[in-house]
Amino acid sequence: MEFIVEKIGMSRTIDVPSVPVTLLKVVDAKVCEVREDGKALVAYNSSKKINKAIEGQQAKYGISKEFNKFMTIRVAEGTEAGDLDTAPLAEANVVKTSFKTKGRGFQGGMKRHGFGGGPGSHGHRFGRRIGSIGMCEWPGRVQPGQKMPGQYGNTKVTVKNEVLSFDAENGILVVKGSVPGHNGARGLVRIVK
Amino acid sequence: MRNKYIESFEKAQLEGKNIPDFRAGDTVRVAVRIKEGDKERVQNFEGVCISIRGQGTGRTFTVRKIGANSVGVERVFPLYSDSIEGIEVVRRGRVRRAKLFYLRNLKGKAARIKELRRK
Repeated sequence: MEFIVEKIGMSRTIDVPSVPVTLLKVVDAKVCEVREDGKALVAYNSSKKINKAIEGQQAKYGISKEFNKFMTIRVAEGTEAGDLDTAPLAEANVVKTSFKTKGRGFQGGMKRHGFGGGPGSHGHRFGRRIGSIGMCEWPGRVQPGQKMPGQYGNTKVTVKNEVLSFDAENGILVVKGSVPGHNGARGLVRIVK
Repeated sequence: MRNKYIESFEKAQLEGKNIPDFRAGDTVRVAVRIKEGDKERVQNFEGVCISIRGQGTGRTFTVRKIGANSVGVERVFPLYSDSIEGIEVVRRGRVRRAKLFYLRNLKGKAARIKELRRK
């Protein structure tokens, strides 16, 4: 079962030892259509964007104007069209959380892959360069998957988190540890256990 | 401004916590729970509070004392942690700053803090 969530931010507990926690808010979603493979088309709110295609979908499923974004997610068995029930989260122990990581732009090998780099001074020209990227005349090409500079971040990353509590009234899910992405980012949680 | 959900999450934890009101410059005695194997005991740490920082459950304070062989010892405690049995304010100090890091560069008589006179 999956739920659309928004990352609120991090906090900690006062127990001994103190546990770092991340607060996630479950985004209200309406189930439009349940498919046979255990997935369903759901609508949720995202910005104020509206066009004729969205309006057409809203008229088809009879949902109100704020639910202007559509997504297919895995749902619990026996789900029917209408409000998505968040009750399974109250019994969840472990979730997998998927978010887009913070985008860091085009980065060099040291930041992106943790390369060692070379001395910064004493007549060196190595600095932060990546160094050798392969062998000689044989094989005469760069191996596929060679680590090089490039776009770092803004990719989907999934982490496993323990669930500490779920406040059904406000839809606040408290998980142990951190999740990728910036505060306010939207992502998915999937119940594992 | 902090998020209201984070605030309410932290508020629920801080309910019923009774922390005395103190500020930098005050001499405090902190009773810390220490676990050794399966035994637990309480140890006191007394010194001048030189800084209080952070907010919510992450609020901490720093206590500085002059230990054995006149070596300065500083400990940072989480203000609301369950590991703290109690905080007792021994003496109120008269200081004009919120952070007293300058005490680290002073020694002996120069590092004294005057007691606050109540009107």
